[in-house]
Formats: sequence, structure tokens, C-alpha cells
Amino acid sequence: MTSQDHVPMTRAEKRQAKRIRRFDNPWMNPKLLWGVGLLLGIIALGLIGRVLWDPELVFTGSAPLKLPPVGFENLRRQEGIWDYPLGTDGGGRDLLALIIIGAPNTLFVGLLASLIGMSIGIFLGFSAGFLGGRTDDTIRVLADVMITIPPLLILVVFQSAFGDVTLTMMALLIAGFVWQSPTRLIRAQVLSMKQSGYVQMAQLSGASTGHIMFREMLPNLVPYLFGSFIASVTTSIVTAVGLEVLGLGPQRIPTLGRTIYEAINAGALIQNLWWWWGIPTLLLAVMFIGLLLINLGLDEVSNPRLRKLS
Amino acid sequence: MRTPILRAAASVIAFAAASGMALAQDVAREDTVIFDLDRTIQDPENFNWFTDNSGVKRISGAHQTMWEPLFILNYGTGELEPWLATGAESNDEFTEWTLTLREGVTWSDGEAFNADDVVYTVGVALENDELSAREAAALRGQVASVEKVDDLTVRFTLNAPNPRFVVENFGVRIANSFLIMPEHVWAGEDPATFTFFPPIGTGPYEYSSGATNRMIWDKRDSWWGADTGFMDMPEPARVIFLESGGEESRAQLMVSNQLDAAQNVTIGTFEAIQAQNPNVIAWYDDYPFAAADPCARQLEINTTIAPWDNANMRKAVAHIIDRSQIVNIAYEGTTEASQTMFAQYGSMDPFINAVVDAGYGLPARSDVEAGQALIEAEGWTRDGDYYTKDGETLSVNIHVNSASTEYTRTIDVIVEQLQRAGIDARAVPVENGVFWGEVLPFGAYEMSYSWLSCGSVNEPWASMGRYTVKDVVPVGERSPGFNNTARWDGAAAEAYSAIVDEISGRALGDEAVPGLVAEAYQHLDAEMPFIPLVQAAKLLPMNTTYWTGWPTADNYYNSPFFWWGHTHQIIHNLEKAQ
Repeated sequence: MTSQDHVPMTRAEKRQAKRIRRFDNPWMNPKLLWGVGLLLGIIALGLIGRVLWDPELVFTGSAPLKLPPVGFENLRRQEGIWDYPLGTDGGGRDLLALIIIGAPNTLFVGLLASLIGMSIGIFLGFSAGFLGGRTDDTIRVLADVMITIPPLLILVVFQSAFGDVTLTMMALLIAGFVWQSPTRLIRAQVLSMKQSGYVQMAQLSGASTGHIMFREMLPNLVPYLFGSFIASVTTSIVTAVGLEVLGLGPQRIPTLGRTIYEAINAGALIQNLWWWWGIPTLLLAVMFIGLLLINLGLDEVSNPRLRKLS
Repeated sequence: MRTPILRAAASVIAFAAASGMALAQDVAREDTVIFDLDRTIQDPENFNWFTDNSGVKRISGAHQTMWEPLFILNYGTGELEPWLATGAESNDEFTEWTLTLREGVTWSDGEAFNADDVVYTVGVALENDELSAREAAALRGQVASVEKVDDLTVRFTLNAPNPRFVVENFGVRIANSFLIMPEHVWAGEDPATFTFFPPIGTGPYEYSSGATNRMIWDKRDSWWGADTGFMDMPEPARVIFLESGGEESRAQLMVSNQLDAAQNVTIGTFEAIQAQNPNVIAWYDDYPFAAADPCARQLEINTTIAPWDNANMRKAVAHIIDRSQIVNIAYEGTTEASQTMFAQYGSMDPFINAVVDAGYGLPARSDVEAGQALIEAEGWTRDGDYYTKDGETLSVNIHVNSASTEYTRTIDVIVEQLQRAGIDARAVPVENGVFWGEVLPFGAYEMSYSWLSCGSVNEPWASMGRYTVKDVVPVGERSPGFNNTARWDGAAAEAYSAIVDEISGRALGDEAVPGLVAEAYQHLDAEMPFIPLVQAAKLLPMNTTYWTGWPTADNYYNSPFFWWGHTHQIIHNLEKAQ
């Protein structure tokens, strides 16, 4: 070693050192960081935007109609102006204000729905796997049945019946359809974990069922739950946007899906009002890419074999 | 509001099916006229128009190609043009009318069309209270008895003098007319449940096939009109009514020449269509392009539901509504604000002026403070965003038919105006059939977007007569002929009804009428059972790629509203493009 102290490191050694550093702190995963960054960006857009921009511009009739973004012209040869930098829609709403308010709303529905759905899933999954017997049968059959029902179909009927829904209401409805997969997956994990030594140890030492389920076993599932959570956020947002694009979301609260719905409904494609549907679509894309990156990143965090070696 | 998109998808499939069929039966595209349909045909194998409230059993081609009216009102000349009938005369008191039918008219199965059919069909409407179509209900309210004089002459005895009897019921004055059905097919059937399938008519086209999103009509080999020299056979070999499913797909179909006449689009969409397909025209060559529709838009208020049973609260809403903003946003400047309940046609000027001169005209702009003062005077106090009273928030649900962007966007604007003034208003979009079948006639709403004072085009009674107390029924019962769905009752309504009854017996052109209109209107102004909004304008793209001869301001043989019963004239005027 002493002789090598003065010699500069070879390329392979540098790589090795880098790799070790990365192993030291798996959370500094670039995919994870990028994903979190994108989502935080959208949240920041909502928070800072509300301060710097006028949120009242999301309401019908608060701006001129169909103005293009700055630097573009619409079919009537009107140029975009800085008062409405991203243009306006056919109902006189400012696109910038719409995404400032709408994008966090869409994210909020997804997060809330999957938070509730996951909680249900964790509870039922653990109960089924750990308690077994009748409880297991009931929960498993319930989850199996629910998994076969296409959620959009049911939700379309629900939302039509409710009429104008709030964001929270919509999240609750969607949560009713995102708990089945986590339930199934967690149940499987719990079943295998139940045989492990530390669980049997805890059982022998007289720990309560709740204690074993949530204090002993749950912590071991955390990375796995995170991944599952992010996946269900994606599903929830897709479902929410699907409903909104069909015109079934909240009516006076701006969301990205509703903006797209109104654009389609008012003939924005043929009128070449691309900013009306294009900007919300772009934001949705950013949101999904962010979620995907987080998911990939978390995978690498929890499973070292996936980490690239170079 | 989900339906437009589902419909868009459905109509693409339907179109594929329709064009596939057209090929199968060898009717070339250039021999086919394709009209746009703005609603779903819920029951395509039912042609009993008596039980139809949403009109879809008629407007998917039946009363444009197969069933013919007795007369057609010409909007350009104001004349009543004879079709299946040749003339009508009344006694001096307008209580007895004699109609003469045209000789040589036959049903498509060869049977003669004659007085028996008319007497039978009118009899069905008179005897069956459950037949709810507006035309049947209207006739039931007016006619005491009907009798056959000879094969081509029918005499009606009315309950009360009515100088407008023929134009009102048999003249396609607005959209529909009372349609005569073949006695030899209907006799012995229960008119409330009979589906009349397959249907027959007297027109030059016969039913070919139908589905929930299209209906196809084929030209017959012979038609009474051509046989008797009344008119030549129309040129199109096939007429299709196709549900296009919303503005975007309707525009795309126009651009790609897969549609010959489209339903209403916004001006931006029309300009975009024209930019891509210069063969597409509208009523006017230039701005505003749109034709004035006789059904002015209004906010209908259910006067039985608190707090809107209070006239001051309704007046407050009227003050808060800004009509010029509706014109600018929902119509992009293609129409104008309503001053009264009437359509702003030149022929209506004497009555509109009388109302405006008496001080009951509505301003285009809002007066929010005046509206809020009225609300506060009723004991409501503003608490944050909304008014409250006894812990209750001042709120309102506004039902709107989701079939058109025009309707929903108008209500979006109104919701916004009410919200800003402190009323928690919400739009409730409803599917077309539900809106006309369940919401409006039964009073199942607080406020709704409608055009139910529609009726007058050259005299005031047809519109004013729709809000009299004789048509008031409790919520949950069907309003007769969609009249007074606001259920406006009380002393002012009775005073109003008395004056309107006075107007009803007077002949067209009676000089006292404008004064009486203004006198009656003071009660409407004081109580506001409905709030007139804006004039309706229809921007209908018409495609000259395959067919020319469309109705326009320069070629004004009649109005361009191809879902109306006078569309026979449009189809007869169409010529193959060279």
C-alpha cells in the first residue's frame, strides 16, 4: 500500500471509489433525486405561483379569449402578451393561473387517494397475511373480486350520480379502487415473513398481534411500501385525470384534466389553440416522468443489485 | 358532460358503419346528404312522436324527410306556404277553422292521405292526456272538437278565439308542427305505447335503417308531389342524420367533407373550418356568420323553491347577471343581449319597443350593488364569500343541458357572476334526454338554462301565453306543453294572465296590442319568473363540396335550421355541385 500512496489512482480505482461512495449513501440516487426534484418543482410552482401570480385569473371571463403564449400568434393574428404569458383559453381563463392552481390539485388528488388506498391496503394485507383463516379468506376474496372490476367504469357512474364533486371527494372515491393490489402484495410478503425467526421470537415472547404486525414487520417493508405507494399515486392520477377529461371532475376547481376536457370540448384542436391542451398535457407528462424516476430510484435504493456498477 | 367524448368515439364508429352501408347499397357519397345530429337517438325503433319530449324521434330525419307538415311558415316572407293542405279559413270570431287538404296526396304504402287521417290524429291528441309532446298538449288545450266535412275538408271548433290557430299548430312556426299520422296503421293501437315501427309517411323519403347515433332515409321511387306536379323529386338519393358528437369532431367531419351541414359551432371553430375547407359556408358570408334563432335564451327559475319563491331574490339575480359578458364569452360576440323575453326580429319591434318605452327593458350590463342591496334587504348578510341567513348559505344549482358548448359556457359565465356577487351557484350539467324529459317539465330544478318563452315571431301572444296561471301544476307533475315550468302563481301572475288572455283573442295587427303587452309586462318585470339572457344565434357550417342551394341570407327561401320540420324545403332546394 505504501508504494501506491504516491501513485495517482487508475481509472478503475476511481470508479471503484465512486462506487463505494455511492454504496455509502444509496439515497443519493440520481434518478430518485431527479424524480423528487420534478415533483417538488410542481409543488413549488403551486406555492410560489399563488404568491406571485393572480389566482383569480382561473375563473371564466377574467381574461381575453384565446390569446396565444408570448412569442406566438393565434389564427386571428393576435400576438401573445406578457399579461398572460402562457396564453388564455376559450372561456377567458389564464393558462398560467390554471396550471399554478390546477397542477398541484391534480397531484393532491393522486397523493391523497393513494395515501388512503395504501393505508387500507397495509391494514388489510397485514391482517390477512398474519391472522389467516376466515379473515384471510374474506379479505382475499374481496380483493380478488375488486381487482377484476374496471375502476373507471364504476367511477363514471359514481361521479355522474354525485354531480359536482370536491377534490377530496374524488380522492376518496378513487381510494376505493387502489387498495386491492397493495393488499394482495403485502399479504404475500407477510406470509413469507411470518416464518422468519424474529417474528416467531416475538410471538414466543408474547408480543401482541398489533405489535408484531406494525412494530416488528412493517419497518422491514418500508422500502417496498414506498415503491408500491408511488405506483399507486401514478394509478390514482391516471384515474383522476381520466375522469376529469371525461368532464366528471370538480367543475369550478381547476385541474389539469378538466382543462384538457374543456379544450377538447370547445374545438381547441381544430382552432390550433395548442397551448390550451398542450401545456396541461406537458405538465402531466412531467408529473408522470417524476413519479417513474422516483419509482426506479427507490428500486435501486432497496435492491443494491440493480445499481449500476460503472 | 361525459357524453360528448363517448359520443365522439361512437360517431366515428357509426360513421364507418354508415358509410360502409352506403357502399353496400350502392349510394355514392355525391348522392348522399349528411346532416349533423346533436343528440343520441335513445330508442331508434320508436316513431311515436306523441310521447317524445326531447324531439329526437322527429329531428333525426322523420319530420324532415318522411312526415310532411300541412303548412310551412316562410321566415323570409312571413307567409304560410301550403304543403299537405291548400288553405285555411276561419269564422269572424276565430273560433272555427276550416282546413282544406291537397288532392292526390298518398302515404308511401299507397293509401290516400285525407280528412280521416287528420280527424283521427287530432282525436288521438284530444282524447289521450298522457301524450306529452308539446304539439299534442297545445292542440288539446285549444280544440273543443274536430269533424270531417268531406274527404279533403276538416273543421275545427276551438275553446277560445285564436287568430293564430293554423300557424301555431300546423305551420312549422318554430321547429315542429302537429304531424298527421296514417289512420289505417294507427287505428286500434294504444297511442301511448304504439311504436309505429317501421314508420311510413307521405314524404319523398322512406326509413331505411337506424341506430342510436344515425338514421338513414332513402328516396322512394315515386312521391305524390312529383306525381301531381306540386314539386319535382328532390335530388339527393339518400339522407343521413348522423350524431357527430361535439364541436371538435363536427369540425373535423366538415373539414374532411364527411358532413354536409353541421350543428352550431363557435365562431373560432367556424373560422378554422373555413380556413381548411373553403367550400364551407354559413348564413352570412362574413362576421357574424350566424343566423338569428327565434328562441331567446333565458334563466328559468322554479318559483316554488325558497329562497327563489321570493320575487325580490329573483330580481336580485336579474340585476347581477351581466348579459354583455355572456355575449362576449359564450358567444364570442356573435349575438346580442336580450331586452325582453322576445326574439329581436324586426317583426317584433312594436312589442319590444312598447315594453322598453314603458321602462321594463333589461340592461345589457349588470348592477351588482342593486342586486346585493335586494338580497340584504331580505335579511341575508355577507359572511366571507357568500351570503348567509340563519346559518344557511345562499346557494343555487343551475341545471343545464350538456348537449352544446353554447349552453354550458353561458351557465359557466352566470355561475361565475353569481359567485362573485356572493351566491354559491353551481352548474349541474345533465344529458339532453334527462333535461327535457325529467328536469324541466316536472320542475325538478332551482334554476335552469332554457328557451321556454320561445314562440313569438310576429305577434306577442305565443311567447307571453306560455306563462299564464292556467298552466301552473305542482312540482312533480308535468307542465302542459312545457308552459309555465316556472310555476309562476299569485296575484301578479293572475293579473298578467288576464291581460294575456285579452291579447289572445285579438287579430294580428290590432293597434291596442303593444299597449297591452307593456301593461302585462310590468308583472313579469316585477316578479321575474324567468330572466331573459341573450338572443340565440346559430352558426351552422354548410358544405358546398357535394351540394349547393343551402339557405343563406342571399338565398333566403327559409331559415337554415335543418332540425326543423321545414327542412323538406332545404332538401328540395339542394342541387348537386358541379
